[in-house]
Amino acid sequence: MELLVTMFVNFLATDMGAAIGAGLAALTGLGAGIGMGIATGKAVEATARQPEAVGKIRTMLLLGLAFAETTAIYGLLISILLIFM
Amino acid sequence: MAGLSSQLLAINFDELAEKIFPSNVVDNGWLVINDSVISGFIVVAVLLIVALILRLTIIRHWKTTPTGGQMFLETIVTFFDKSADDMTEEYSGLMGPYTLGAAAYICCGVLIELFGLRPAIADVGACVALALCTFIFIHTLGFMKNKHRRLKHYLNPINIITDLAVPVSMTFRLFGSILSGMVIMDLIYIIVEGIWYTVLPVFLPAIVTPLFTLFHAFIQSYVFASLSLTFVSEAIEPVPKREKRKRKKKESPAEA
Repeated sequence: MELLVTMFVNFLATDMGAAIGAGLAALTGLGAGIGMGIATGKAVEATARQPEAVGKIRTMLLLGLAFAETTAIYGLLISILLIFM
Repeated sequence: MAGLSSQLLAINFDELAEKIFPSNVVDNGWLVINDSVISGFIVVAVLLIVALILRLTIIRHWKTTPTGGQMFLETIVTFFDKSADDMTEEYSGLMGPYTLGAAAYICCGVLIELFGLRPAIADVGACVALALCTFIFIHTLGFMKNKHRRLKHYLNPINIITDLAVPVSMTFRLFGSILSGMVIMDLIYIIVEGIWYTVLPVFLPAIVTPLFTLFHAFIQSYVFASLSLTFVSEAIEPVPKREKRKRKKKESPAEA
């Protein structure tokens, strides 16, 4: 068991471990994608229901998208740091 | 086909790390300067010169029947002033010009990438500076409006963390999106160098540049401006007084 743990730790200490970590960090895109998709879909529904309110809906949609995008950007930043630093 | 794949494999990505986190910065002993700082100063100089030129030409000849330049100026200024008016009623005179200035700096700081320089915003320092400006605005205006009553907001200690997270999240949102755009564009430039013998390099950057540079520049400057307005409007919301709550409590059993 100890041997296995040592092997695992040694593996993580190599560049390969950093690459795997970068790949895992890129999974943040999953949640952000789902969230942005839901937000856009709701915005389309709202526009179809009330076409006069396009301006307000667009402003709120952009703000919401910026918030949803943040997590994906954190993941991307972490993977870039893992690969290049 | 074999030639193509071997050529594709020969693309050298080693330069990418140097482009993303440059090591050849100007080191003057006590002063360490990044490429981003230089392009930041260029952007500031260009913005100031453009503002001076506009002041001396268009604004001096202000007309009731507007020309193209006047229309352009009026559209931009009224857009930011109006959104500041909607969000922060009495401080719109302060927040309108601030958001316009920050948005202009972000937009031009990213668009300078089109001239082959490193974008000014692709450095954590610039993003931290902008986010700290917003942070200072939020808390100064909040305390100016609500005086000591704003301290009640901190009775719940989680609010302290929430407030401290605002500049951090603004910093990394700006930095991450601009840096990712720059990384993708650098990747494309490196790939283009590798596959110069196909026709693709002529069209590929022209198609991808608008997506990752122009789009990011406008969206991020707009998002930064509207986010700082939102946070300021949240901070200057009047705090409910105690008397109202007591009255409501007294009324509610009577109604029941």
